[in-house]
Amino acid sequence: MFVTIETWQITLFSVAVALGSTLVILPFGIALAWIFARKEWPLKAIIETAVLLPLVMPPVSTGLILLEIFGRRSPVGEWLYDRGVEIVFNWKGVLIAMAVMSFPLLVRAARTSFSEVNPRLEQIAATLGASRWRIFFVITIPLAFRGIIAGSLLAFSRALGEFGATILLAGNIPGRTQTLSLAIFNYVQTGREHEAYTLLSITVMIAFASVWCSEWLLHSTKRT
Amino acid sequence: MLLRCRIPLPDFAVDIDASFDARVTSIFGPSGSGKTTILDAIAGLINVNEGEIEIDGRILFSSMRAINLSPQQRSIGYVPQEGALFPHLSVLQNVLFGSNRASGLTARARIETDHVLAVLEIANLLDRPITKLSGGEAQRVALARAVLSCPQLLLLDEPLAALDVALKEKILPYLSRVRDEFSIPMIYVTHNLSEVLALADWILMIRKGRLLAQGVPKDVLRSPDTIAQFAEEQLENVFAVMIIDADRVAGRTRVQLESGQELFVPYVAQAAGQAFQVRISPGDILISTKQPEGISAGNIIPGFIRRIGRSDGQAMVVVDAGAEFYVRLTASAVDKLELIEDHPVFLIMKTHSFRIL
Amino acid sequence: MSKKWLRQVCSIAALFLMTAAPAASADDIVVSAAASLTDALKEIGRMYQSRSKNRVTFVFASSSTLARQIEAGAPADVFFSADVQTMNALERNGRLEPGTRRQLLSNQLVIIVPADKPTVVNSPEDLLDPRVRRIALAEPSSVPAGVYSKTYLESLGLWDKIKPKVVPVLDVRATLASVESGNVEAGFVYKTDAGSSKRVKTVFEVPIGKGPEIVYPVAILKESKSKAAAKEFLNVMVSPSGADVFKRYGFVVLQ
Repeated sequence: MFVTIETWQITLFSVAVALGSTLVILPFGIALAWIFARKEWPLKAIIETAVLLPLVMPPVSTGLILLEIFGRRSPVGEWLYDRGVEIVFNWKGVLIAMAVMSFPLLVRAARTSFSEVNPRLEQIAATLGASRWRIFFVITIPLAFRGIIAGSLLAFSRALGEFGATILLAGNIPGRTQTLSLAIFNYVQTGREHEAYTLLSITVMIAFASVWCSEWLLHSTKRT
Repeated sequence: MLLRCRIPLPDFAVDIDASFDARVTSIFGPSGSGKTTILDAIAGLINVNEGEIEIDGRILFSSMRAINLSPQQRSIGYVPQEGALFPHLSVLQNVLFGSNRASGLTARARIETDHVLAVLEIANLLDRPITKLSGGEAQRVALARAVLSCPQLLLLDEPLAALDVALKEKILPYLSRVRDEFSIPMIYVTHNLSEVLALADWILMIRKGRLLAQGVPKDVLRSPDTIAQFAEEQLENVFAVMIIDADRVAGRTRVQLESGQELFVPYVAQAAGQAFQVRISPGDILISTKQPEGISAGNIIPGFIRRIGRSDGQAMVVVDAGAEFYVRLTASAVDKLELIEDHPVFLIMKTHSFRIL
Repeated sequence: MSKKWLRQVCSIAALFLMTAAPAASADDIVVSAAASLTDALKEIGRMYQSRSKNRVTFVFASSSTLARQIEAGAPADVFFSADVQTMNALERNGRLEPGTRRQLLSNQLVIIVPADKPTVVNSPEDLLDPRVRRIALAEPSSVPAGVYSKTYLESLGLWDKIKPKVVPVLDVRATLASVESGNVEAGFVYKTDAGSSKRVKTVFEVPIGKGPEIVYPVAILKESKSKAAAKEFLNVMVSPSGADVFKRYGFVVLQ
C-alpha cells in the first residue's frame, strides 16, 4: 500500500461528503418512505417511479440532468450564483450528486420497514391520545429503525462510490472535488497505478463493511 | 350512546341505527358481519360516509354538522383482537402510554394506576418484555392500557377469541371486574354467545352489517329460531350458583341455583356460601320423558318444556327446571319423544359436563 | 411455443452470421486519434471510404487515454497522437510498426471564453484576475493539450497562481464543452477546436515559437491485422487532398 497525505485527504473528503449527503437525505427519505408506505393517491405510481429513476438510469444521465439544473446557464444555477452559491465544480456539487444517486436506496429500504410496522399499533396509539408526531417518533420510527439504518448504510456506500454524476456535476478537481472514485479514475488515466490500487483497497474495505452491516440489519432474525 | 352510521365495505354496507345506555353492550354476530368496522368507526379510525355517533351527549361524528373528531380527541379505549401491544416498549410503558390524558381530569375521575394493576393482576409483569407474555397476560396488559387512558368508553374486539377455552374462562372474570370496578361503559364485540350472556346488559345483533335486533340479551335470545340460525354451537347455558358443600372424596360440589334447585358440578376447593358461575353446553344435556333409573349421570332434574324452536333439522328446546336450560336435540329426537310445550320432562346432565367459571 | 422459440433462435443466429460476414470480405481499420482531430479526420474518413472498399472506425479520446488502451491490448490499426511524448512511449514499448511513424501536423494553443458573456481576459496575465474563477484545461499531467498549456503557463511564471483555479477535464473537446456551457470563465484549447464552435470566442493565440512546440505524429501499430488498409489510409492523409482538409480546419501541415 502506498499511503500518502493525499490519500488521507481524499478518503476523509469522500467520507465526510458522503456522510453529509446521507444526513441531508435522511429526513426527506424517511418522510417520503412513510408517505409511500401509508398513503395512496391517484398519480402515486409516477412519483414512485421518478424517485427510483437514479437507481436504474446511467449515472452520467442523472449527472447531465443535474448539470442542466445547476449549471450557470440555468435559472436555478444563476439564482444561486448571484447569491454566491456555486454548485458546479464545487464540493456542494459532489454532495448533490451523491445525494440524488443514493436517495432511492434509502427510500426503498425505509419504505419496506414502514410497511412492516403493523398499522394497528399506530391506530391504537392514536386512540390512547398520542398526537401524530408522537406516534411517528415513539411508535413508527423505533419499529422501523433497523430498516432505516440499513437503508442509510446502503445510501452511504452508494454515495461513496458515486462517479458518473459526480464527475459531470462537480468535475475531477484534485483537492477540491476529488473523491475516492474520481481519484482512482484520475490515477489510472495518468499512470499512477500504485496509488490507484491503494485507493481501490480503501474503497473496497469501506464498502464491504457498510454493506455487510446493512445486510445483517435487514436480514438477521428480528428480536421483536 | 347514539350510534348511527353507514359505511360501505367491499361485500356489503354497514348500516346501523341504534341507541342504548348500558354498562356493557354487546355487538354480536358471525364473523365478517362488520363488527370490527363498527368499532373502528366509533373510535374514529375509519371514514364514515354519513351518520351520527354520540356518547353522553358528546358528538364524536356528525356528517350533517361536519364534525369528525380525531381518534385522539374521542377519549375512547380500544382493545383490539390481537391486543396490539407495542413490542418495543416494556409492559409498564405500554400500560402508561395513554395515561397523560389522565392528568387533565379531576382527581375523582382519574383512575389510579395501582388499582388497575391490582384488578388485572399484572403488577408482577411490569418489566417483562412484551414478547415473553402469554396470551392471557397480553390481553390483560392491553386491557389495563386501555383503562388507564381514562376513556369515556371502552371498545373490546373479541378479546377472548384468540384464547383457548381454559384461558377464556380465566380471563372472563377480569372483564367482569373491569365492568364492576371502573364504571366505564363497554362495547364488547363477539361471536360467542356465552360471553354475551356472561357480561352484557344489552345486545346488538348484527348480520351482514345490518342490525337485526337489540335489547336485553335474554329477551333478544328468547327466540330459539334466532339462536338456531345464529351459530348455536356457541350458545352456552350460564348460571349463577352458590356452593352448599364440596366433597373431595365423592369428587363433586353441591351447588344451588337461585331457584333452590340443586346441581352437582365438579369438585372445587371452595367454602360453602361462595358464589360463582357454571356453564353447560346445550349439546351436553339429554331429555327424558320418564325418570331414568340405573344411569350414571349425577344430575337428573325435573322441568317442563317452555318453547321448542326448529331450524334445518336441528331443534333448540328451552326447559324450565328452576332456571332456563337450552337443550339441543335433532328434529327427529323431538318427534320421537313427541315433545310439545308445557310437557313435563327430565333433564339428564353429567357432573363433568358442567364447567366452572 | 417451441416454434416461436425456434424462430427466435434462428433470427439471433442470422444476426450473428450477418455481422460476422462483412469482416471476411473487406479490411476494416480502427484509427485511434487525439480528440482535437475529430472533425478533420471524420471528413478524411469519408474521403477514404469513397475511394476504398474498406471501412474505417474512429476512436477519439485524449492521446494519453488511447495510448493506455493500446498498451492494454485494444485493437487499433493506426494511432494519431497530439504529442511526441505519448508516441515515444509506445515506440519504446515496441507497439509501433517500424518505419511507419511520421510527423504530420502542428497546431496552435489558444485561450477561449464563452461567446455570450463579457470577459476580462485578453491575455494569459488576465487569467489572474479574481473575476476569473475557473479555468478549464485538459488533464495537465497527461493529456497533450493540458501538458502544452501547463508548460506555456510555467514559462510565463503564471502556473502556480493559476493552478488553484484549474478544472482538469478528460480531453481538449471536453475543455471546449466546459467553456461553451459557461460553467468556467476561460479555457485552453487548440486553435482548431476553437474554430469548430460558435459558442466560444478566442481571446488570445499563443504565438508560435513562444509556446511549446506542438507536433502530431502518426504511426501504424505493430499488432494491426490490416496493415495494407492502414497504409492506404495514411496515404490518403498525406495526399494533397488530405492536406487540404487539415488546413481547412486550421491545422498546420508539416512537410
